[in-house]
Amino acid sequence: MVRLFKGSSGVVKFTRGFGQRGYALPDAPWLVVAWKELLEAFRDRRTMLNVVLLPVILMPVVISLPALMLNPKTIPPKILVVVDDPGGMDLARRMKSLRNESGALVTVVSGGGNFTNLILSGEVDLIVEIPKGFYENVSSGRTGELIYYYDPYGARSSVAMGIVQEVVNQYSEEVLRERLRAINVSEEYIRPVVAVAKQITSTGGEATTSDIITAMVLPMMVGLIAITGAGTFAIDMIAGERERKTLEALFTNPVSRGQLLMGKFTALTLLSLVSGLATLLSALIGVLFAVSSASGYASATAIPQLMEPSRLLYLSFGILMTVALGGLTGNAVMVTAASFAKTFKEAQQYVGFLTLVLVVPMIAIPYAPQSLYPVLRLLPVSSLAMFARDMIVNPGELGAVISSLAASILYLIAFLWLSARMFGRESVIFG
Amino acid sequence: MVAVEAISLTKAFGDFLAVRDLSFKVEEGSVFGLLGPNGAGKTTTLRMIYGVLRPTSGTARVMGVDVRENPLEVKRMMGVLPEDTGVYPRLTAEENLIYFGKLRGMEEGRLRRRVDKLLDILDLSEKRFVIADKLSRGQKQKLAFARAILDEPPVLLLDEPTLGVDVMSAREIRRMIGEYASSGRTVILSTHNMWEVERLCDRIAIISEGTLRYEGSREDLERLAGEKEFEDIFVRLVRGETVGKAV
Ligand SMILES: Nc1ncnc2c1ncn2[C@@H]1O[C@H](COP(=O)(O)OP(=O)(O)OP(=O)(O)O)[C@@H](O)[C@H]1O
Ligand SMILES: [Mg+2]
Repeated sequence: MVRLFKGSSGVVKFTRGFGQRGYALPDAPWLVVAWKELLEAFRDRRTMLNVVLLPVILMPVVISLPALMLNPKTIPPKILVVVDDPGGMDLARRMKSLRNESGALVTVVSGGGNFTNLILSGEVDLIVEIPKGFYENVSSGRTGELIYYYDPYGARSSVAMGIVQEVVNQYSEEVLRERLRAINVSEEYIRPVVAVAKQITSTGGEATTSDIITAMVLPMMVGLIAITGAGTFAIDMIAGERERKTLEALFTNPVSRGQLLMGKFTALTLLSLVSGLATLLSALIGVLFAVSSASGYASATAIPQLMEPSRLLYLSFGILMTVALGGLTGNAVMVTAASFAKTFKEAQQYVGFLTLVLVVPMIAIPYAPQSLYPVLRLLPVSSLAMFARDMIVNPGELGAVISSLAASILYLIAFLWLSARMFGRESVIFG
Repeated sequence: MVAVEAISLTKAFGDFLAVRDLSFKVEEGSVFGLLGPNGAGKTTTLRMIYGVLRPTSGTARVMGVDVRENPLEVKRMMGVLPEDTGVYPRLTAEENLIYFGKLRGMEEGRLRRRVDKLLDILDLSEKRFVIADKLSRGQKQKLAFARAILDEPPVLLLDEPTLGVDVMSAREIRRMIGEYASSGRTVILSTHNMWEVERLCDRIAIISEGTLRYEGSREDLERLAGEKEFEDIFVRLVRGETVGKAV
């Protein structure tokens, strides 16, 4: 593995065929440059790590890990029910039956005692105490009090509480119904107002929270990884080539700056797409995995809805465009930044800062007020985030899509022009 | 016919003048040597001629084409071996040649033949599939030389072509330079090696501190050196002293 990515004979042999392809390339300098850049990318450990390995391995982990961790079936929460009131045994038995439904490990003990140290030692995630007099209160029309002992920092404590609370609510409602029957009052009578929420979406379907999060966050992540993944390669192409002192020789060829840059951008765009799609694919796998393993607890509607053919087409197109535009714009910015830097390290610092500048608007967009949207569609960076939003969350608004797309393309051209201006400068060749 | 002409070439880095008002002419089919101490401005002069540095003033013409007006046309006629070889460390020896050959528009069959031949002549055949990072200093230099003459351009610019190359290979490179010129093409090279200049160059320019101190044929220089050590003449020329009456 290590050898493979050190540009040693292993990977060289593996890519030799692609190298031989060079002979038959057509007489188009930008294609020749793209060929060479890709060849170098395959042999660069850093690039391969960022473009392929990172998204493929990291994304499913990032997405499915929290869901897996919180899923009671992965690591069942341990619940201890301490019954200090014989009348509470009925409720305790219901809790015990949770084991079959959720996989929670429920232990019931009778008689009092102090078990709180079990929480601190992590042996138990939640203790439910049914204190003396509980049943007496419940059956005589008063409020019966249960006590939860839990760890406020433990995620599984909250999960356990959620599970137990369902049983408690059910029990409480049964008691309530009995009480109402006894005094001949209907359930409606004690619930005078109820709000019914109806979702309005342009697709007509119902959006679930996970649906929205998936639709909103996914393209952002994909765009981001596309930029940062190919970002190291963008640095390598400019600052790296200067550091290795190959730029001067390159510029002795009868090829214009524009052609050289075009070849480099072609390779960059290809890598961005690969990186973006790898991210997307592994993210989808992560989501599928998380949803399927959490079925019954998390909503499983997100995936079928995303998989609807028309929706999927729109979504894929939106993501592809976001990745391509974002990748290209990001890379043009990186190339410009890398042209300022003398070394790979220096360029990396610029790029790190720029990535932050690029990411903040992406994250902030979902929280921006609607009235700002027309402006956001025209500002740099946010225009791209808005395009992703318009394409994926709110499809159908053609004018919005066009304005954000046009603005994004305009910024892309501006940055491309800037990077071309920077690229040919003497200070870029000789530092 | 004049193949390369430097016309009042001047280059300033900030307020430091690296090359001052340098003019010379190189005849087609000849080898022209730029001689001078470290920092004299040899590399800077060559860089201005092959179009990667923009002259502060003055210009250069290659086969009558002005490098400032038409840099791509000039680059098409020139093969260059830069001071830092500029070999791509992650490409194999062969791929390094393919890259430049294709950038210069070479057709597949001819490129294959040239690559085979040059790797063979320069004793690099067994390094064909080895990435350049793993080549020795001299092997990189030879590879860069092969790259410069790959498409047999009419003009060759070589910045210290035998630097770090072993005796056998240096001899081979020198032989190839001589052969190149006798086939009617033109070579300009810079070097510290006086012996090399004596053996190889038809005309010689000595520069120091960015200024031309001497320009003349090898015979002229030999005549000057006749009485004294060649090296001694060089030192005095570099200092800006006049030597003999021939200058
Ligand atoms: N990019 C640059 N910025 C600033 N000064 C430079 C630059 N390139 C060269 N110089 C200066 O110009 C002068 C001439 O340099 P040049 O490389 O042309 O010398 P040279 O004759 O090739 O020397 P050497 O024999 O050591 O290769 C030197 O003093 C050098 O420091
Ligand atoms: Mg030099």
